[in-house]
Amino acid sequence: MIELFEVTKRFGEEVAVDGISLRVEKGELCVLVGTSGCGKSTTLRMINRLIEHSDGEIHLNGQPVRTFDEVALRRRIGYVIQSTGLFPHWTVARNIGLVPRLLKWPRGEVRERVEALMALLGLPVAEFADKYPHQLSGGQAQRVGVARALAADPEILLMDEPFGALDPITREALQHELLDLQARLHKTIVFVTHDMDEALRLADRLVVMRQGRIVQQGPPLELLHEPVDDFVASMLGGEERGLKEAALTRVRDRMLPLGPRLLAHERVAAQAPLHQALSLMLWHRVDRLTVVDDDDIPIGELSLRRLVGSKS
Amino acid sequence: MGQGRPVPNVVLIALLLAGVVAWLTLPAVSVAPNRIVPGTPLLAQEALGWGVTLPALVPMLAVVVLGWRPEPARLRLALALVVALLAAMPLWLSAAAAALVEAAQARLGIGAALWLLLFLWLLALIELRARLALPRPLGWALLLPVLLAWWGCLSLWLAPLALYREYQGRSDQFLDAIGQHLALVGAAVGAALVLGVGLALAMRRYAGLRRAGFGVLNFLQTIPSIALFGLLLAPLAWLSARFDWLAALGVSGIGWAPAWLALLGYSLLPMVRNTFVALDEVDPAVIESARGMGMSRRQVFLQVRLPLALPVVLEGIRITTVQAVGLTAVAALIGAGGLGTFVFQGLGQAAMDLVLLGALPIIALALIADALLSALADCLRQGGAT
Amino acid sequence: MSTAGSGAVRLRALPGWLGPLGWLVLLLALSLGMGWLEGLLRLVEPDSRQVLYARASFLALLGQHVLVVGVASLAAVLLGVGGALAVTRPAGRDFLPLVSQLASIGQTFPPVAVLALAVPALGFGTLPIIVALLLYGLLPIVRNTLAGIQGIDPDVHEAARGMGMTRGQILRQVELPLAAPVILAGVRTSVTINVATAAIGATVGASNLGDPIISGIVNGNTAYVLQGALLIGLLAITVDSAFERLQRRVGRRGVQ
Repeated sequence: MIELFEVTKRFGEEVAVDGISLRVEKGELCVLVGTSGCGKSTTLRMINRLIEHSDGEIHLNGQPVRTFDEVALRRRIGYVIQSTGLFPHWTVARNIGLVPRLLKWPRGEVRERVEALMALLGLPVAEFADKYPHQLSGGQAQRVGVARALAADPEILLMDEPFGALDPITREALQHELLDLQARLHKTIVFVTHDMDEALRLADRLVVMRQGRIVQQGPPLELLHEPVDDFVASMLGGEERGLKEAALTRVRDRMLPLGPRLLAHERVAAQAPLHQALSLMLWHRVDRLTVVDDDDIPIGELSLRRLVGSKS
Repeated sequence: MGQGRPVPNVVLIALLLAGVVAWLTLPAVSVAPNRIVPGTPLLAQEALGWGVTLPALVPMLAVVVLGWRPEPARLRLALALVVALLAAMPLWLSAAAAALVEAAQARLGIGAALWLLLFLWLLALIELRARLALPRPLGWALLLPVLLAWWGCLSLWLAPLALYREYQGRSDQFLDAIGQHLALVGAAVGAALVLGVGLALAMRRYAGLRRAGFGVLNFLQTIPSIALFGLLLAPLAWLSARFDWLAALGVSGIGWAPAWLALLGYSLLPMVRNTFVALDEVDPAVIESARGMGMSRRQVFLQVRLPLALPVVLEGIRITTVQAVGLTAVAALIGAGGLGTFVFQGLGQAAMDLVLLGALPIIALALIADALLSALADCLRQGGAT
Repeated sequence: MSTAGSGAVRLRALPGWLGPLGWLVLLLALSLGMGWLEGLLRLVEPDSRQVLYARASFLALLGQHVLVVGVASLAAVLLGVGGALAVTRPAGRDFLPLVSQLASIGQTFPPVAVLALAVPALGFGTLPIIVALLLYGLLPIVRNTLAGIQGIDPDVHEAARGMGMTRGQILRQVELPLAAPVILAGVRTSVTINVATAAIGATVGASNLGDPIISGIVNGNTAYVLQGALLIGLLAITVDSAFERLQRRVGRRGVQ
């Protein structure tokens, strides 16, 4: 659990973070989102004390971070950055094993852990263990970055625009992988991004920042429905908020069980987000889809009325 | 940074305090009855008494105090004080000369304390210039009052200064030596420029030549200058013995011919490398768009590639020139003349002031060449950037 | 950086350490057996009674040369790398601008002039030469160490801190290995200059491979000059090719 109480950071005259309070529960994925220079990265870096805060308190499981030894603190917190910061002179395996080695794990355990993590992140050991970072694609390098952050099984993960430099397809794949990982590992994650789609897709709790302050925070749907002001509304997509919301809802949640009517010809996966179903309807010019499960077996149907959420 | 009071400038404080220690504990001057006998070293207080030595501490300590809270205004004051200190040094020497030197043959040598102070204060000047972010030309302008003070004192009162005595003894030779030095450097760099640019252009076309050319030039650069001068000695001597017209031109195993050839050899590498890199590194997008606009190959080269490459080529000329100034000094060993002659003569006669008379102008030439050519490159860059 | 290049290797494309070793063997063989060349040298200097430099054995001169350059270079590496590291730590940061300016201004000083200045300050003999070589040799090492350390991707540094590495660990495991190729290039420049400058030291009373050259010039004996020049040239090439090899080894790992 991470708590920030009235935290302020000044660089000389300039106030980068201005008295923000925030509480990230254990196992929660909290996304800080805002335009560049809004203080979101600074906030993140104050948690592992890469930057010391000027005022206020930051607590980790109820204890002020200032009371920890900063090096020991950082070894307990995973950290992933956009450019990966992989050590160019070390192999993938050595990069991933960094923190366990710093913590003086026995060699065998380090190796086992590295191999387990590489498997977890879809990096075949035989192929990647001895490669150097410059031999990896952007997506692979960032997978290694995530593996390195997870290596010593930290309860907290700080991620600073980790997928910002990747192409859209790789980015989306990694976002899904992160959600899968999170479903299994239940880490407490603070994730910084300026990409609202990414934020909405990942967040349990969404924190919108502007000029060093938190403008609004809460579950993504709550922010979508009740933005406190025009800034948040426009950040969340303005007129296109409906589509953003649809992206957060799954077909499964809106479908009706199979009725007496004939199956519609076009199909949609139950796991698919709602905007995909809408897109299919627009594309095929139909107002009804058959919902199928992972094995392509029909399990329900979705009508346009249901999709747009008319309660009847 | 910038929060509340500024942090003390440790560098400035350390430099000036070291200067105070040197001033109080090391010999400031030495007095010798003639050229041969080594001088007697004298501390500053022994030379002119505490009455002068202690007041001189005031500006030094004042800079220390100013460095304690380095706000820009205080740093500017400190800068003025350091310049004043540097300008005061020849005045103090003049006073010392008047007080200590009586005999016409006697000479005043500059002692360790003053050399060290000169060094430390110049460092302080560099530090202050950097902290105040003064532009380069202004930095040089700051040295003007200092140089004026030295010039004035030398021509009025500092006749007994050993270095000056050495100069007076051979003022004609001195000017000749500078002339020879510059001529050799100029001839070598000029030839290297013509040949080097030609070679770089050819290398861009032929990959084989590129590989072989860089191989040979790199190899040449690792051979110590004195060895290369020596190795050229035999074949040139042989050639001049064989061909009368070469001998008539003044080519022989020693003298300007081997020196010039060796200098040319050393100068080619930096020149070719910079020209090659400069031409090669011009942003391909710029070239692409120039082509796209319909410029011919020739136009692209003359109007786009060459002007953009010019600052880097100039950088090559700078490196080459500075290197050649130093190497020409070595060339004096094989009779090529130049300022190195004084250095090696002085070393041979154990006349240290003669060594200085050669070495100091060599350093000055290198620094001046460096400053002028980098200023020129800066100008070109600014012109090209907009 | 300034003398390093890849072209020279291809010229002598012997595999691995064979190149430097070959040069070394040639150097030692010539130092021991300059007599074999007597016939050739006689061609150059037919009138002189003596064509072989005999005032000291070439091996001893070579030893002196290597010793002076070795001591000065070792000290320059320790001081230069140490100093440059010190001014890149938070405690020494204040001195960084001055030191890096000094290193670049100092490099415009001709090495001969520095050597010449060392004599009035320290007297004749081996010590002033070592000091002069040390001082001058510091500059490229300091400059390259600074460049190497400052050239490290700030994100790598950030990640190292973020992972909880201590300052010492970052220095040893990240900064030094990443800067090593650049530092080594600086050491190579430094040693190359030192080999050459030490030879000129023969004029200020050191006895080394510069001796035959100087005495050859003084006595008008071209054969002496050739012998000295040949050996110094070979020494320089041996040292340089060894560094070339070392740089390849260090530079091979990972880094772009």
